[in-house]
Amino acid sequence: MDSQIELEYDDIKGHADTKMVRFIGDLDATNVETVLEKICNLFNDGYINIIADFKKLRYVNSTGLGILLHFSKSAKEKNGSFKIANVNENVYEIIEIIGATTLLEIYDEVDEAVAALK
Amino acid sequence: MQELKIQKMPVELRPDLSMWKLEGELGPESIARIQAEFELVLDSKQNFLIAEMSGVTQVSSAAIGQLMGCRQLLSERGGDLVITGVSLDIKSKLSAMGATKIFKFYNELRSAINAYHWEVERKAEKVGLSFPPELQFVPPVRQMVSRIARQKGYSHRDSFRIETIVDEICNNAVEHGSEKVKKNIDLTVQINREKIELEVANASDPDKIENLRAVSSSLSKPPTADAGQRRGRGLALIKMLSNNLDINFSGEGTSVHVTKLREE
Repeated sequence: MDSQIELEYDDIKGHADTKMVRFIGDLDATNVETVLEKICNLFNDGYINIIADFKKLRYVNSTGLGILLHFSKSAKEKNGSFKIANVNENVYEIIEIIGATTLLEIYDEVDEAVAALK
Repeated sequence: MQELKIQKMPVELRPDLSMWKLEGELGPESIARIQAEFELVLDSKQNFLIAEMSGVTQVSSAAIGQLMGCRQLLSERGGDLVITGVSLDIKSKLSAMGATKIFKFYNELRSAINAYHWEVERKAEKVGLSFPPELQFVPPVRQMVSRIARQKGYSHRDSFRIETIVDEICNNAVEHGSEKVKKNIDLTVQINREKIELEVANASDPDKIENLRAVSSSLSKPPTADAGQRRGRGLALIKMLSNNLDINFSGEGTSVHVTKLREE
């Protein structure tokens, strides 16, 4: 009865080292390890930039937020980035309360996140 | 023409609540009758009136106007007049008269009485849940509590915050629970019009309790966004989202009590 979360992937034209990942569902303690493994696999496959589209991410808890911060840190260590776009207001409030708005790169739209790639 | 009948229905132990059962045609000729009965309601200081109208076969704008006047008077006294049981046909006519913008409508009498208990008496409803100490049970529990809050009129935003609080306190109960004593986690939800109170109790692991004590003693500081720390933000998040957080440690277990005032 784990929370349902699905990840969908897309390439970004002109950025071979970047993957767009659509998060669909709820990110919580029941599925956080699965998501961690999948994103780490992307890093291991050479994708140093990840753009996370949260348009269909309904919910995130403190554990989920923890791995988002981990992804951000890991990407920076590889000279890459972990960018987030389309955050709904409820999820944004949790990120804000934790104090992570300055640590995560958050954009209104995916296009803005893509434009910000080096 | 079917003359209007107004039958006063008994209400036990609710001195300020009155109920009418209306049957027949609510035509212009019924205005005097409505006014006479209403004066009895005012004299007895019953400021809340439920009009059960499943037996009403016709409505006129004049009679509805009279009921609107009654409602206005009760409203000025801090009360209300609500309507239950109208047929679809009558409801359609009332809508055309603008009455659906003035009155609250309930399908059944019981719903109107429950709404009175909820709104006026500030009666709390209590739900108890007991589930195995495993993470997989937490999502359906948190979603259920969120839906209860939503159904009780809490906003989407407030219900989301409540869902987050339930998630965090239940996850903590699972993670800090005893691995030797596999006792269910008990969650009690008490909700009324103004606040929700949540209590989680579990059997704790003595070794993990010390970690929990350390975290709870640091709750005066805001949650850390330290990217190097993957966990440990849950209790701090609960504290920021709620109005009161109490954690009690005993020899056998831990209980966490959270109060959150309704904000919107």
